This record gives sequence, structure tokens and C-alpha cells, in this order.
Amino acid sequence: MIKRIIARLDIKNNFLVKGMHLEGLRILGYPELFAKKYFDENIDEIVFQDIVASLYKRNQLSSLTNKITKNIFTPITVGGGIRNINDIKEILINGADRVSINTAAVNDKKFINDSVRVFGSSTITITVETLKIGEKYKVYTDSGRTDTNLDTFEWIKEIQDMGVGEIILTSINNEGTGKGFDLNLYEKASKLCKIPLLAHGGTRDSEDVYKLFVNTDIDGAVIASAFHFNYYKELLNKKEISLQGSTNFLINQSSKNMFFLGIDKLKKYLKSKNINIR
Amino acid sequence: MIKKPLAGIIDISINNILSIKRALEYVGFDVVIINEYRNIEEFDLIVLPGVGAFHEAMKKLKNTKLIKSIEQALEKNKNFLAICLGMQLLFEESEEFGLTRGISFFEGKVESFKKYNVEKKTFIGWNKVNFQTKNKLIKNPSIENDLSNSAFYFVHSYFAKCKNKDIEVGISLNGKLNFPSIIKKNKVVAFQFHPEKSGKSGLLLLKNILITS
Repeated sequence: MIKRIIARLDIKNNFLVKGMHLEGLRILGYPELFAKKYFDENIDEIVFQDIVASLYKRNQLSSLTNKITKNIFTPITVGGGIRNINDIKEILINGADRVSINTAAVNDKKFINDSVRVFGSSTITITVETLKIGEKYKVYTDSGRTDTNLDTFEWIKEIQDMGVGEIILTSINNEGTGKGFDLNLYEKASKLCKIPLLAHGGTRDSEDVYKLFVNTDIDGAVIASAFHFNYYKELLNKKEISLQGSTNFLINQSSKNMFFLGIDKLKKYLKSKNINIR
Repeated sequence: MIKKPLAGIIDISINNILSIKRALEYVGFDVVIINEYRNIEEFDLIVLPGVGAFHEAMKKLKNTKLIKSIEQALEKNKNFLAICLGMQLLFEESEEFGLTRGISFFEGKVESFKKYNVEKKTFIGWNKVNFQTKNKLIKNPSIENDLSNSAFYFVHSYFAKCKNKDIEVGISLNGKLNFPSIIKKNKVVAFQFHPEKSGKSGLLLLKNILITS
């Protein structure tokens, strides 16, 4: 099976934002601009996540979905604050192929069963945000704000029984830090997961993704900061910062907190290491 | 101004047909969505997309009488594109949720991956297409080469079994199982994968078969 390289774009108030541990958000620019760039660079899939939607119980995702999918002919997953069948329908008819659900999956399991029945397994992705505390992995919702008391591995088993298509597993500890994937987490999770499992959180460079693919049975790597910073830097160099972004964000960061990775470079590296990549 | 060719998309699902509309516009079509029976004479291309369950789709095609538009297009030898479930619907029958009769344009039936030695019972992701040499879909060797080295986006747990292997112009592999991923009969081209979601290769493929033929 071809391993997938997936870009994740976190959205707040229609802007692309990025933080660390799902917190400390800064505006980077217009999501459609970044998405188009990634499409041009042969990304295998794009995930859009409205990261404050479930907190404020609102949903403006369908019009944004329509806009950002306009010139992009690659699979699109959209999530954030999805709570009912109609939310899903709206997002799909506006250009998404799948939806991702986190908070509502924990709170309302019947909703997930209904969604699978109406839209088919392959349309429904569950996002799991996990925080490692001591040796335990606990499940969080609302973009890492609410502790559910669920054990991550037990929860993954339960999700599979709901008949959903795949799972995105985010490590809150590593997310946005560039310290590499939590290989222990993904090795354990991929062993007990029979449906496709995607890893999110920690990519700094090509080597991190290579290690993920050789050490675990993970189906794809979900990458945000490293891609976004890379393109942001490119735009800065071209002085194309009509982005509404706060340029200070990158400039003020110490160099150890900045990491840059191009999709092209990553794919070439993985191919050279004989990883099955498109 | 040069008039663009006109494509009609048969709309039977609640899922994403916006992408196929945009992909057709991208390669140079004007597009109309068809969601109830209408005369298809004016169209240069009819497209049957589809995501979801076979029996539900057939039920909907019959209830809306859209099936008559499709049969008309096939009888009149219109340019016709079928995608994913749309391709499967053109077969004689599918074993999804018990046997359901299909449109019977292609001889053969649709079966589940479950009974076979496959890598994925439900395949979501990218896969290669082996373009057949006997019956060539892509005439331009350099484009064919590009597309052979590329991959396309598949989402399915059922696959088609053709009686006549000659109409299989593209073959893909799931584990040890070969299945047709592109079928061509007369002016009908059917894809098991989603060309509208297969990046630049998907657009190149659509452009090549729709515009140059």
C-alpha cells in the first residue's frame, strides 16, 4: 500500500493558524493559498480542521470548504464542531470527501453509527487527540482542552467497532514541537488498529517521517507546522506577505522552534529510502 | 467565443459531486447537474459518478427516472464517463446487500473484496494502474508513460469482474487480486478510482480521454 503524506491546516476565523500542543495560535495566512501550494506539490490529501468550532458550538465550515476546495483535486477531509447528519451533508456537498469527528464521537456514539450508515464507512474519520501523562495515554476533546478520562488504546478499539473508515491519532505532547513522532504510541496503536491509522504530531524533517514508516504500520503521516513554516518562509522571501499574518511570529521565534520541510523534498527522500510513496 | 462542450452530471447521491463538476470545468467543459429525467440529446458528455451503496443508487435512479436518461445516452452512443459506484452500476449485478440488478451495459458482476486474498478489504488510498497494451486507452506514449508511473485515488470495497477481458484497459492490484480499474466499451469510459481526486495525473487523464478523443 502506498504511504500517504497529508497536510493538516488548522483554521480559526477563516485563517490558517498554527500553534504548539494545539495551543498558542498564530495567524499564518489564507488557508486556500497554502492548500493550493500543497496541491501543486503533489500532496496526497489535505485535512482542514476548525480548531475552535467545537468549543463555541458553531459551524461555518461549509462555506469555507467550498472556497478552499475550488482548485484542489485531491482528497479533502474537513472537521471541527460536526455534530449532526446535516453538518456532514453540508460539508460534503461543498467539496469535501470525508469529515473528521472528535468531540461528538466521544459524546454521542449513536451519531457516529448513524453517520456511517448514511454516508458509508469511508466518509467518516475519527480524530483522536491523546495526551501522555506519565506512562498513560489519555483521550482529550475540544482541541486538547477537555479530559475525557478515556484510555487511548481502549478508545481506538471502540472506534473500530463503530465501522468508521479511518483514525487520525494526534499526540498533543509532540504536536507543533518538531521533536519527531511518538513512535511508541504509533507502534502500539497501529498493532491494534485494523482500519487505516494516520499519525499527527511532531514532524521536523524527512527523517522523522522515515522513522515513522519503518518502525510502525502507520498508513500516513499528517504534517502541519513543517510544511506551513516552509511555505511561509518562501512567501516572506518573495515579500509576498499580503497574508494578514503576523510576520513577527516567525521572526521572534528562536531558530530551534522553527523547522521547514517541503513536500517535494520529503517525498524524494522517502523514495530514495525505498518507502512506497506516490 | 468558442462554445465549450457540454457535460451533464447525473446526480444521485448526497456526497461530493462538486469536485467532478469542477474537474470537468477545469478540463474545458460547461457543466449541468441532472437530478431528474431529461432528454440528453444536447449533451456532449454524460457523467455517472457515485459514492455509496449499489442498491440505494439503483433505487434512486429508478425513482427519479434518471435511469432512462442513462439508457438513452448509452443507446445513442454518447460520450459517457462513469466513476466509482457509477462504473459498478453499469454491470449486470452486484452482490452488495444481496444481489441487485444493475444497468447491464457491461457483462459481468460486482463482488466484494472480502472473499479474496487482498491487502485491504476496504481500500482507501492511492494505487497504480497498469495500462493494457492490447486495447490502448491512451494513444500518446509519453502521457501513457507518465500516467503509468503515477497513482490514482481509490475508495472501494467492491470490484468489478468483466466477462470480456478485452474491455479492461487498466488493471490494478489489491494484494494478489487483479481487478479492472479502467473499462472502455464503445464511447463509455469507466473508472473504479476518482480521477477528479487524483491530483494532476487525474486531470491529465481526464483531459486526455475527454478532449483529444
